[in-house]
Formats: sequence, structure tokens, C-alpha cells
Amino acid sequence: MIDSQQASAALNDINEIVHRLRQSQIYQIASLIIIMWGVLVFAGYIANYTWPPQGYAIWAVIDLVGIAGSIGIAAFSSVGPGAGAFAIRLLMAFLLFIAFGIFCSVVLGHYGPRQMLVFWPVFTMLFYALAGLWFGYAFIVIALGSSALIVIGYFYAGPALLLWMAAVHGGALVLGGLWMRRI
Amino acid sequence: MAELDEIIHQPLRLRIMAALNALPVSTGLEFARLKKLTGATDGNLGAHIETLARAGYVAVDKAFVGKKPQTTVTATAAGRGAFARHVATLQEIIVGKQP
Repeated sequence: MIDSQQASAALNDINEIVHRLRQSQIYQIASLIIIMWGVLVFAGYIANYTWPPQGYAIWAVIDLVGIAGSIGIAAFSSVGPGAGAFAIRLLMAFLLFIAFGIFCSVVLGHYGPRQMLVFWPVFTMLFYALAGLWFGYAFIVIALGSSALIVIGYFYAGPALLLWMAAVHGGALVLGGLWMRRI
Repeated sequence: MAELDEIIHQPLRLRIMAALNALPVSTGLEFARLKKLTGATDGNLGAHIETLARAGYVAVDKAFVGKKPQTTVTATAAGRGAFARHVATLQEIIVGKQP
């Protein structure tokens, strides 16, 4: 027979492994969503570069496809009891975040096209970074890495900003998602 | 007085059962993910999974995905029951109902 300290250590071991399993499941689902967004925004920047007057329409389509795809992946990858309610809360938080972004960039800020191009990716990366405080450091690394590259492009990429964004924003999301699947 | 399950009590087997038990019923974990989660080596993990399988606590399914072999381990109903009883016994020890 074991004593209470050893029993407590065994229960801690169980909790630790369950925590790691949950984190790994979150990474599996999130990585798919992040890779999907990486491909979508890459396509969006290239399309926007090719047909500049269609920019708003292109990004409206990209956003709608991305949100529908994210909901679809989350819905088909339910990881256990309570996961559905959790995903809905996360989606609501994301939508509130987006609403605040619209308020800042359109109502308060009156940003130009170049500022808008940089504001939204950096703003959504802030959501990733905050999520990382709960779900794991991988989110924070992806968010900080791509935000830094985006800001560098804002100051130094000049007229090639859209191409820069396709490479560093789309590319960072795809590579980040692939990396997340390996950890 | 409930007894600790000697098969589950071994630390690596406890981790394996904890991970499998946290999944929905009939859902398994691939060997590679289980290895990453538990931090075990291939040989060690394989030996302990075999012990659990012999006791009827896990089911091992070997299949090919494309050309790659894939082993999936799933907790059986008996394994889930034994794990629940083992955890209950641990909790009883902590609150002092058992010596």
C-alpha cells in the first residue's frame, strides 16, 4: 500500500498528462485553422496586388471563407465534453475583438489602405498572443514573429507591401501551423 | 477496502491510462502521440501497452495509412472501469479512509 503523499503524486501525474493531452488536441485543431488562414491570406494578398480596385470585395470573401472554415474545422474536431460550448465562447470573443477593431480602424482612426493592410493582421495576431496565455506558447511565438515581420514591411517594403504581406503573413501562418503540429 | 490496481499503478502505465481515459469512448491515440505525451521510448511504451492489452485494459489496432504502419491504442470498457476504481482508491488514501 502507498501513503497519501504517493497517492497525491500519482493524482498529480494523472492531471499533468490530461492537461498535456488537452493542449495537444488544441494544437492539432488550431494548427489546421492557422494553416487554412495562411493559405487564404496568401491568396488574398496576391489577388489584391493583381486587382487593386477589388480589394474590399476580395477581403470580404477571404474573411467569410476563413470564418466558415474555422467554424467547420472546430465543429468536426470536437475533442470531448464541453468542447462545443468552449468553441462558441472563443468565437464570440473573436467576434467582439473584430468589432472593436472595426470601431478603432473605421470610426476612430480613419486609416488609409496601407494602415488598414497592416492594422488587421497585427490586431488579429494580438488575439493569437492572448490565446497563447491560456493554450500554449506556440500561439505567442507565431503572433509575435509574424507581427514583427509585418511591421518591418510597413516601414520598409514600400510599394511591394502586398507581396511582402503575402510572404510574411501568409507564410508565417502556414509555417507556424506546421510547426505547431510537430510540438 | 478497495485495492490499488497493480497493473495500472506502474507510473508509465498510469500515464497511458490517464491519457486514453480522457478521450471520448472508442477514441484512441496513435502510438507516436502517446509516446510524445508520456515521454517514453518506443520499446518501453510498447512493452507497457502490451501489459495493459494482456490485462484487457486497452485494445491495440494496427493498420496501414498509405504505406505507413499506424498503431492506435484505445481504452476498453474494462480499462476505463479499472482506471476509475484506481483513481477512487488514490483519493480515498489521500482523505485518510485507507491506511
